[in-house]
Amino acid sequence: MLAEWSFVGVFLVIALAFPPLGLVTAWLLRPKRPGPIKKSTYECGLETVGDTWVQFKVQYYIYALIFVIFDIEIAFLLPWAVAHMGLSAAQGILPLIEVVIFVGILVAGLMYAWRKGALEWI
Amino acid sequence: MVSGLDFQLFLPETILLVGGIAVLIADLFLRERADRETNLAWVSLAILVAALVASAAQYGVSESLFRSSADPVAPGAFVVDGFTTFFRIIAILTTIIVFLASVEYVRGRTAFRGEFFALMIFSTLAMTLMAGSTDLVMVIISLEFLSITSYILTGYLRGNVKSNEGAVKYFLYGSITTAITFYGASLLFGVAGSTNLYDIAARFADPTAIIGTPLMSLVLPAIIFLLAGFGFKIALVPFHQWSPDAYEGAPTPVTAFLSVGPKAAGFAMLLRVFAVALPEFTHEWAALMIGVAMVTMTLGNIVALSQTNVKRLLAYSSIAQAGYMLIGVAGVSVANIAGIAPGEGGAGLAIDGTAGVLLYILAYLFTNLGLFIGVIAVDYLAGSDTLPGYAGLLRRAPFLTVAMTIFFLSLVGIPPTAGFIGKFWVFGAAIQNQLFALAAVGAINGVISVVYYFRILKQMWYEAPADPTPLRLPGTMNAALWICLSLTLLIGLFPAPFIEFANQSIHMLGVFVRS
Repeated sequence: MLAEWSFVGVFLVIALAFPPLGLVTAWLLRPKRPGPIKKSTYECGLETVGDTWVQFKVQYYIYALIFVIFDIEIAFLLPWAVAHMGLSAAQGILPLIEVVIFVGILVAGLMYAWRKGALEWI
Repeated sequence: MVSGLDFQLFLPETILLVGGIAVLIADLFLRERADRETNLAWVSLAILVAALVASAAQYGVSESLFRSSADPVAPGAFVVDGFTTFFRIIAILTTIIVFLASVEYVRGRTAFRGEFFALMIFSTLAMTLMAGSTDLVMVIISLEFLSITSYILTGYLRGNVKSNEGAVKYFLYGSITTAITFYGASLLFGVAGSTNLYDIAARFADPTAIIGTPLMSLVLPAIIFLLAGFGFKIALVPFHQWSPDAYEGAPTPVTAFLSVGPKAAGFAMLLRVFAVALPEFTHEWAALMIGVAMVTMTLGNIVALSQTNVKRLLAYSSIAQAGYMLIGVAGVSVANIAGIAPGEGGAGLAIDGTAGVLLYILAYLFTNLGLFIGVIAVDYLAGSDTLPGYAGLLRRAPFLTVAMTIFFLSLVGIPPTAGFIGKFWVFGAAIQNQLFALAAVGAINGVISVVYYFRILKQMWYEAPADPTPLRLPGTMNAALWICLSLTLLIGLFPAPFIEFANQSIHMLGVFVRS
């Protein structure tokens, strides 16, 4: 019992020790030469412009949601294809009907978004 | 692998899914027609009635669907049995009644009426899926499905701050409980090595598999975490904080829907998961229910005493009502669910806790929805949902007042109403299981509830109305009121067929009990 769980304890100790160990080692070894350019906020190689607390256009979220339609589609189509790879002909076109129903539901969602004007940038 | 029988027995869900999508798409293309909404409402109602007929036609069927192609003998992810049929009927009936009461209400309050009808149908689909799921993955997906539609319906009045507040609180609370439920399900999966409820039960029943190993200590946390998810839908006390705000802010027909539909579906899921997957742990979860039932009833009733908004008051009242239903769950006999009659091995009991829960839910469906039709009518016609808004309702709408009085009596549990039969059965089950303290707490709570129900009754019967103009209910609302009133009295006066229906509906397919 104890032996089975002891590796969890070892992991815990290592996990707790690792981040401070790295930071302290780096702090001890690194040269300390701060300058205005070194202290500036760094993000993706570009200098930040303006305040971070700005409002985003709500349409970004709608775009993200529509993206999820396609995202889910791919996430499920791949396992579907793999699961039906080695199956016999006895099933006929049943797996195909299954996936057509699934894609049909997603297309209905896309149709709804399209018709409601979510694809037009205002 | 899906067979032809699967499609046949999955017909109610298929009707709801195809119907819901059809309503959504039809709404997009019928935009310009003036009579679009009325037509859509009738089409939606026809879809629900078709699903109801398809469900009722499967009375007596006991079959597991969507079996794995690798092992066609093993049960699949969904089951159609007496229990599923019962909750399918409950879910669809709830939506039909709410639908009738809301057709007039939603007109003019929101620009998204077609979506409202479609969302109601999708919620019904989610509830029917919840009733029959026999795989942890299906259980959680259908739970989430119902949650998401409920969030949208709660925040349906887009310009209304309270509606938005309720929806956001509901959403935040729901997301966290979903995470906890997922954790519980993953613990159970980790212990038993399967997501299929029957496989989980078989692993626990096998004396050489898990019994006695350190893994057993994870079962109780798993039960508690799963209960968080089910309790959230039912609004049991540690998980109830969202409900007063969501009930107050939601459009009143949605409040009516939330107070019955998701609650019933939550009970269906709770009973199914615990009875099918964890019959070996009946003592543990039944004991947990005793504590939760006591706290739920007491807190719901005591906080309801000080409410002045009728929707909030009924929110706390419905929390308390869920507590009474939970008395039945504490008195569950898994032997009865497995279909072992009393006397055969002495396992079953004459008054069964599960049948009590089902009867209570049936009675509560008509009683609470009937009451909410009154609230919808006052909100719709007089624009008020506070206690003084009900002053002198007797002179403004005499029939409505008499009907609401009967519903209040039914909620308290006074014969000859449906509520009496439900209460009799759950309390009977508790007493048969020697849970005297639980029954006593329930009885005391029944007395407390009289106080706040009669505060509304006093306003309706004795106070003078601020505006004496009579209220005329729209035809559809009246029809819904009549359905609720006649069934509340029918169940109270002639309970025998309903008791038989409940007794037949407790049988779940493939519940294993060690004799």
